[in-house]
Amino acid sequence: MICRTFEANSAPEQSRGLAREVVAFLGAYLSDANILHDLDIMLTEACANVARHAYRGREGRLEVRLCVTPGECVDLDIVDWGGGFDGPVRFENPSPEAEGGRGLFIISRLSDAVAVRTEGKENIVAIHKHIGRPAWKS
Amino acid sequence: MEKLTISLGKKALFLKYDGEVTLDVTPELKRRLEAELAAHDVEAVILDLSGVGFMDSSGIGFLVSVNTRMRSAGKACYLCRLSPKVRKTLGLVQLLTYFTVVENDEDVAALLS
Repeated sequence: MICRTFEANSAPEQSRGLAREVVAFLGAYLSDANILHDLDIMLTEACANVARHAYRGREGRLEVRLCVTPGECVDLDIVDWGGGFDGPVRFENPSPEAEGGRGLFIISRLSDAVAVRTEGKENIVAIHKHIGRPAWKS
Repeated sequence: MEKLTISLGKKALFLKYDGEVTLDVTPELKRRLEAELAAHDVEAVILDLSGVGFMDSSGIGFLVSVNTRMRSAGKACYLCRLSPKVRKTLGLVQLLTYFTVVENDEDVAALLS
């Protein structure tokens, strides 16, 4: 298993840059462009949630903890130290007219498991994606 | 926004953005479109998504907001030339049939003329 931590400020352009950096790292292990795109969307959504909500309009620390199990799966923990999750976490697809609230639904559609939890001061979105052997570089 | 193309037809405003449509560009896209709609009384907005290689839920929210704004004024919003990535993302959130998607170039040209 290969584990690595990536860090950035939660400003929108930096949070998107962090997702790109993690996906570029994963490109050394994965050859399937569609799966890399799925991972990119999930990371971008989770990081954008931090940029939008975690620090209540301010900027703060954003971390992605990545663990790659070659030939098997990728685990991503997206971590912030902000105000935490307000109320129940929703994974449902909102109504078509809604302008927001689709991030966690998209992550749930593209992953095999997603969990939201708080540990001490850390708010964590944990994503697990199983990836079949043909998608890996040999 | 050097990747943004805006042009005005007889009845419609045409907007094309080449690049990623994510949280760091959607506020500016919204502002630019609002300014154009305030300056021009058009019957429709046409959003060309052929150059969008990546779109997140913020981009989806932008499309929904334009659609809602136009429809609530009795006007129309069309999406055209969806890139494969945009098509996939809109399909994920089950919005492909919610929007009016124009598939071929002749129909886009007719909307602009």
